[in-house]
Amino acid sequence: MPVVDIDPDELRELTGHEEKGEEELKSDLFGLGLEFEGETEEGLLQFEFGPDRLDRLSVEGVARSLRYHYGDDRGVAVPDTNDPDFTYVVDGDVPDERPYVTGAIVRGVDLDESALDSLIQLQEKLHATMGRKRAKGAIGIHDLVAIKGDALTEEGDGNSITYTGIDPEGDTFVPLDSDREMTPAEVLEEHPTGETYADIVAEYDRYPAIYDELGLFSFPPVINGRRTEVSTESRELLIELTGTDQWTIDRMCNIICYALSARGATIEEVEVEYGESSSEGERTLVRPDFEVETKSVSHDRIETMLGVEFEERAVVDLFERSGLDAVVEDDAAAEGVGEAGDADAGAADASGDDDTTYEVSIPPYRTDVLHPLDLVDDVGRAYGFDELEPRYPDVGTVGGRHERSRLEAATRNALTGLGFEDLLNFHMTSQAEAYDRMNVEAGGDYLGGGDPVRITEPYSEDYTILRPWALPSLVMVLENNTHRAYPQDLAEVGLVAERDDEVNTRVRERRHVAGALARHDATYEDAKARLQAICRDFDVELETPPTEHPSFIDGRVASVVIDGEPVGVVGELHPRVLVEHDLELPVAAFEFDLEALGGE
Amino acid sequence: MKLPEPQVAVLNAASATEELSIDRLAEEAGLKPETATQAVFELRDERLLDVEETESVEYELTEEGRAYVDAGLPEVRLYRAAIEAGADEEPVQMGRVIGAADLDGPEVDIALANFGRKGYGTIDSGELAADGDADTESDPEAVALVALANAANGDAGVDDGDADVEDAGDAENGGESETDPVADVGDDVLDQLVSRNLLDRHERTVRTVTLTDAGVTALMEGVETAETVDRLTPEMLASGEWQDVEFTEYNVEADAPEVRGGKTHVLRQTADRVKDVLVGMGFQEMDGPHADADFWINDCLFMPQDHPARTHWDRFALDVPPIEDLPEDLVDNVERAHREGVGEDGDGYHSPWSEDFARAIALRGHTTSLSMRYLSGTQVGDLEPPQRYFSVEKVYRNDTLDATHLLEFFQIEGWVMAENLSVRDLMGTFVEFYEQFGITDVQFKPHYNPYTEPSFELFGRHPTTGELIEIGNSGMFRDEVLEPLGVEHDVMAWGLALERLAMLTTGAEDIRDLHGTLADLDFLRGAEVTY
Repeated sequence: MPVVDIDPDELRELTGHEEKGEEELKSDLFGLGLEFEGETEEGLLQFEFGPDRLDRLSVEGVARSLRYHYGDDRGVAVPDTNDPDFTYVVDGDVPDERPYVTGAIVRGVDLDESALDSLIQLQEKLHATMGRKRAKGAIGIHDLVAIKGDALTEEGDGNSITYTGIDPEGDTFVPLDSDREMTPAEVLEEHPTGETYADIVAEYDRYPAIYDELGLFSFPPVINGRRTEVSTESRELLIELTGTDQWTIDRMCNIICYALSARGATIEEVEVEYGESSSEGERTLVRPDFEVETKSVSHDRIETMLGVEFEERAVVDLFERSGLDAVVEDDAAAEGVGEAGDADAGAADASGDDDTTYEVSIPPYRTDVLHPLDLVDDVGRAYGFDELEPRYPDVGTVGGRHERSRLEAATRNALTGLGFEDLLNFHMTSQAEAYDRMNVEAGGDYLGGGDPVRITEPYSEDYTILRPWALPSLVMVLENNTHRAYPQDLAEVGLVAERDDEVNTRVRERRHVAGALARHDATYEDAKARLQAICRDFDVELETPPTEHPSFIDGRVASVVIDGEPVGVVGELHPRVLVEHDLELPVAAFEFDLEALGGE
Repeated sequence: MKLPEPQVAVLNAASATEELSIDRLAEEAGLKPETATQAVFELRDERLLDVEETESVEYELTEEGRAYVDAGLPEVRLYRAAIEAGADEEPVQMGRVIGAADLDGPEVDIALANFGRKGYGTIDSGELAADGDADTESDPEAVALVALANAANGDAGVDDGDADVEDAGDAENGGESETDPVADVGDDVLDQLVSRNLLDRHERTVRTVTLTDAGVTALMEGVETAETVDRLTPEMLASGEWQDVEFTEYNVEADAPEVRGGKTHVLRQTADRVKDVLVGMGFQEMDGPHADADFWINDCLFMPQDHPARTHWDRFALDVPPIEDLPEDLVDNVERAHREGVGEDGDGYHSPWSEDFARAIALRGHTTSLSMRYLSGTQVGDLEPPQRYFSVEKVYRNDTLDATHLLEFFQIEGWVMAENLSVRDLMGTFVEFYEQFGITDVQFKPHYNPYTEPSFELFGRHPTTGELIEIGNSGMFRDEVLEPLGVEHDVMAWGLALERLAMLTTGAEDIRDLHGTLADLDFLRGAEVTY
């Protein structure tokens, strides 16, 4: 879950609540769903929150949410923007893998140390979340003073920069935290940041590059040039974002612009010019995209979802306290502007009838509203879910356990009645444990010889396959408990799996019953006696014709044939297997398919 | 009066006038001391015997003490050698005397120290002068040693070499010996011998026994031996002999040998308890594959394909071909939900979606894949509301193994489908469920899941510590989940790790003791049962 680092003084200043103590702020933030996690070394407070409200990744966004929470702000606010001066030209050479760009010009920025830190933190956290570690979207922030863009504009009436693609060795620039000219390819090889993000562009034929009149100044999504580095002296910023999805980078851009605007900066639009060769053809976008979207929510849905009856004005109020605007839809049509509070104060409608629908406006920094239900959730949060009285749903259903679950339980019951300790082992194991140490081989025509289901990228060498049979797990438990009192009679009813491409999921999953008797005088007969008892319990017929199995002693191992079907094995474990597991006494064991006990 | 044989023997051996020790009684009655002791106490309880307890002090010669009995105390030997060397007349070289006295090792220091202490003479500048009048023949320590040794030897026949000498103290010790050797030795001499490590002092309780008046009367009226038997046998039952016998009394308080029965695994017991509760609340159990297509595990749950949890290695991908068969319509519906959203005002994700990605097989990271299979109608046919379903099954997460995290654990999964369910119904269901486990004061913290809205993290009060702890994750399934599945009603769902509940209810602190091949059999054998 995302974590935001907050300077409590900044939060007080940005919310305009200088009087709030630290504990009070923490409790208010908990109410918003931001949970206090601890402090950073610099004394910043860390809060964790759900990854839906990415507009809260910086102190500015958190302050905005608090102001709504306190009732200081209501409804949707959109920053004023100035008309575009800059054009971002998307060149035909732009890499196909990363075709999109967006951005904004920000003027009148007052960046002190903490404001700059906050901006960099927001940038990094957006990279980590929406930006999918820069693969989906990457943000570049530049000092506009260092950019010269007037000569590249054909009309000659404005400035421009160009987003293009270049050969990995095609040009040079001085990247941040470096003092020499490097090609993009060299950056990936030799610069620490380059190494970190090299994977993203590894398959690209051409590398993304941004030019102004003076030349290459940014190599997104990897690193900016040193020429345009932002400092506390910077007063005007050029923001560019490149990525694999226009909507995603536009929203990331909006969150950055809202944060800077909250600190008094002015946002200036840019024009993004895509050429003919771009996937959606020639077009010009004006960015940032501060368009306010609307969705319709029915009054009925709010009431049924929350289980509470509301008056219309109360619902509108709750929307506004969530930073949204809402008007009753008919009014919206009739009056144009819907001042929701006093709209339609008629007694009949005041409690909100079933047909009432709200048109809800959503500010452009929200990335999480995919469906009207998300707006119902906002109403619930503003109302306070804590206020809701739990009630047990008044619908009758008949409960019951699955047949397999009952069969497993009955088998465990029979096993424990025979004195077995019921075990619960992992389904994941290693090739060594399941095969090698048991003296069996994959492809062997015996129980446990099936092909293993392998884990693609195992986390640990102890867990690389699903266990094809259960007995190895029991023998491992014996191995780990040689210091405990004997006899040790262990059993397990559990999942085993083997590779089988005939099965839809390619994995044949079965439940096996396995038992092991470790005692100084354990013999084949001990294991078979218990097997007989189980079969008698389930009224199935047991036969044990001789067989061979490399885990067992020849001549003391039999196939378990239940109701005519070979379903398992019973015998005395081979001394090789015992010695391999440091066992100093004989072990008699059996294993068979649970289904053999189930009545058809 | 009929009494068991040992009691009869003890009663006959006991006297009304003479106090006898239990050991003595045992000897005379021909019983083992422990049998006699048991009989004595049984007779006391019948008020036939009086038992008096006295604390007595016993002395026993140490090995060193016994050695000096024969060889003589080192200082005495030194004195005699000195006299022979004429040291009573003029001082003699110390080394010469020591050699003549045949002293060596630690004996030398012992001899010299006590020589001076007892006034046998003086030592000055390496020369030794002896006092000719000293009476070493009646040295009290030497005399006492010999007396104690003689007394011990006299007892040896009974105690089998365990040289004990009893000091009667205040109580007369049965008058067995004519003269009490210890009584003649002064306390200061005994203390001195103990401090010289020549004598060990033990304190012990001595019980002496006399017949009571009732005991005397019983003996005069005649006491017969009752036949007692150790074990009830089938023959006795068949013959009717059981009616005439008395059963030996057992020490019913003594620990019996350990017996171990098999026991259902402690975590299974918790799982069974959860299943019972849910079945009681009207839930039916689900069943389905552990290895499944990502489609069922994630795509149906409206998890975008570029969600970090899906691309990341906290998931266990399996090295097998993709799933063979998925319901085509469902795949189309799910893809549309991801790309375009659901409903008139719905938006999709701005994320890539490919069917190949959805078909890949992995171990399920949650059992919500089962819920998807059931809700889609592919598992048990179309479901009409109301429905309640649950499972308590394994899930797999590629996480760090530690005291509270396993790569495999059990997830309790449940959902309710009904018309017009509200958040309040969800809350009511969970309050009811957790109350069964003693967890009260359930709180609902608004939360975010890609597949539910609204969503809540559940917190509850720990039944013993009172701490507020996270106990689950819940919510109302989104339209983007339900509509592609063809579900037209509200569905609320929740999930919770069984191990978490088990740790809360059993107090287990390290989950690895519970689950897996590192399991400690003693822990499992000793685990308290759950019900």
